[in-house]
Amino acid sequence: MHKTLRISFALRSAYHVNAILYALRQLPFVRRLLPSSLYGSRGLNALANLLSLLWEMATFFLGKLLYFLTFVCGASLLLPHVPAGAAFLHILLLLTCIGAFTNTNLFDPSREKYYAIFLLRMDAREYALIHYGYALLKVVVGFLPFTLFFGLTKGLPVWVCLMLPFSIAGAKLAVAGLSMLDYERRGLAYNENSLGLTLWTCMTVILLLAYGLPALGLVLPAGAYVALFAAFIPLGAAGLYKALTFSAYRALYQQLLWQAARQTEDVQARRRHLSERSITADTSIVSRKHGFEYFNELFVKRHRRVLWMPAARIALASIALVLIALPVLASMPQARARVNDLLTRSLPYFVFIMYAINRGTSFTRSLFMNCDHSLLTYGFYKQPRMVLRLFAIRLREIVKVNLLPASVIGAGACLLLLCSGGAAPLDYAVYLVSLPCLSVFFSVHYLTLYYLLQPFNAATEMKSAAYQLALSATYLACFACMRLKVDALPFGLACIAFCLLYCALACALVYRLAPRTFRLRA
Amino acid sequence: MKLCIEHLSKRFDRKEVLRDVSFSFDAGKIYGLLGRNGAGKTTLFNCLNRDVKADGGRFFLEEAGGQRDVGGQDVGYVLSTPAVPEFLTGREFLRFFLEINEKTLPHPEPIDAYFDRIGIAPDDRDKLLKDYSHGMKNKMQMLVNIIAQPNILLLDEPMTSLDVVIAEEMKQLLRQVKAGRILIFSTHIMDLALDLCDEIVLLHRGVLEPIPRDGLADALLRERIIAALREDGHA
Repeated sequence: MHKTLRISFALRSAYHVNAILYALRQLPFVRRLLPSSLYGSRGLNALANLLSLLWEMATFFLGKLLYFLTFVCGASLLLPHVPAGAAFLHILLLLTCIGAFTNTNLFDPSREKYYAIFLLRMDAREYALIHYGYALLKVVVGFLPFTLFFGLTKGLPVWVCLMLPFSIAGAKLAVAGLSMLDYERRGLAYNENSLGLTLWTCMTVILLLAYGLPALGLVLPAGAYVALFAAFIPLGAAGLYKALTFSAYRALYQQLLWQAARQTEDVQARRRHLSERSITADTSIVSRKHGFEYFNELFVKRHRRVLWMPAARIALASIALVLIALPVLASMPQARARVNDLLTRSLPYFVFIMYAINRGTSFTRSLFMNCDHSLLTYGFYKQPRMVLRLFAIRLREIVKVNLLPASVIGAGACLLLLCSGGAAPLDYAVYLVSLPCLSVFFSVHYLTLYYLLQPFNAATEMKSAAYQLALSATYLACFACMRLKVDALPFGLACIAFCLLYCALACALVYRLAPRTFRLRA
Repeated sequence: MKLCIEHLSKRFDRKEVLRDVSFSFDAGKIYGLLGRNGAGKTTLFNCLNRDVKADGGRFFLEEAGGQRDVGGQDVGYVLSTPAVPEFLTGREFLRFFLEINEKTLPHPEPIDAYFDRIGIAPDDRDKLLKDYSHGMKNKMQMLVNIIAQPNILLLDEPMTSLDVVIAEEMKQLLRQVKAGRILIFSTHIMDLALDLCDEIVLLHRGVLEPIPRDGLADALLRERIIAALREDGHA
């Protein structure tokens, strides 16, 4: 047992350390500083060990803190009409039921388990029990400070707060015990990552009950929840007995990990299938154009499912929203001033909306998966003249696709402004120009990133950390825009100027660098 | 015409994959490039195709007594996993290819003549390439590279996973197109290399080394190649 404990934690540590070192090597600039032999470097290993340890400590507490702050206490703050203690216990109880099925650890087909049990041929029972014991310890130790802190602030007695972590662990053990009994009876291993329709339906219903009942003012007295939590402890003890006496861990994991391997293959096959499915198999689609225009037209027409159709749907939904809002505004004069004020101040929000509806990332993904992935292996396709010609055509196409919903939203916003009391002529102009400008900006942005950082390799794997960082930075910048409190006019004018400048610079960069950068990654 | 490589080198971090590659390939021949796993065959091809930048050395074409750089149009690259744009039909792919290369291919044949040459049935010509079999995709890839008439054709294990009939058709095709150009054929199948190739070149320890046939029977030549590769010392 002691040997299994030592080896399994050494394996876990090596796995985490190597994952940290690998992640470090993916960072731009850092990569150049680190040799490929870094996995054997003592200093770097010590640093990664420290990071791994810190991360392990953080996983003891950080996740639980966030869980309490958001799902349990944060949500119960929004329910002022029910007693705080009862609402807290009601939400925690129902979420514990969900967690008992979805976060079991024992039935999680992780790679770590595969390496330990099948590659290293460790004793399956010992390995499973050690890891499960550790996971339960994390539950109890991790929950204890927060059940105490948040429970006491909700007016619960100390003994209840002390009992809650053991009850949560008990619920998990009870489900584990039942799953093992079920395995013995039917021979089917429960997989927490592959819940069936029935379980998903149950989870959804429990989730609705968790927040819906307190929202309607319906909760039981706190004592009833305490009794239910207390019942989890003997149930957990029964589950623990089952876990300790269960003898078929190896067979169970064989089934579970085989399922997981099949799921991984399925994911890759599904990704390939999805990218192929985005191609319309309609042979009546033809083009009368020539050369690159011919090629591009066929691409756009055969990918209308991922390009024009979503853009058209967004445009139609926007028209529908405006058509609903207009009679509402007409029948509620008191709302007009508020809507008008909101619209004149909400242009920064439209940056995020334009970001969210932009088809740039789907366009570049389809371009790579179904087109450039293959053609970049041909010499003729990589000639600078060809690269730039096609860039210009593609830019025109994606700008057209994105302009449709942007123009509709811009015009709709103007119409709502007009019907809610009107605005200065410049305000209308700003909406009409800045939203299409933003849409052009995002079109240029994504295509430029694709041409300058071409992030995929021949196996269609994403290989560029710089590309991922750029996408994350785009998201954060758009999100940050929502926090700006600026009037439409100055913000709109700044947006238009920025978009024009960015587009000019981006295109200049592509024309200068893309013939060298638009390559398959090694 | 000759493809001359002089002191080409490439390393990935501290691993020196190509140490000092110098060799001269003559037109009109198929060269069989043999080497152990990880010897650097694909790296050499990627350098010649300019997908990967070499760290040192150079390569150029020597013709009519002069030297010139190897341009994108000079190189065709056929991969073991066929790469074709799946949203086009076979016919559309060929049409697009011929149209954008109309300046360099001024007198193309009718599209169906090309299909006939590689044995793609009329029923399959207007199907999307995503519905082609592995072998048919491979033929399309090879066909486009042949129509482009590159001076150098790099073939990276192109026969892997082809059925025997298609593999035989491909071999015939390569023999037909070798006149006037340099074909470098990377493979792990020694019988294929000895059967198809005019010259055998080994890539090991980061350098290229010719294995002269010296009129040896295939069995003796095979022994000589294995012995040379064993000297490499790694698995």
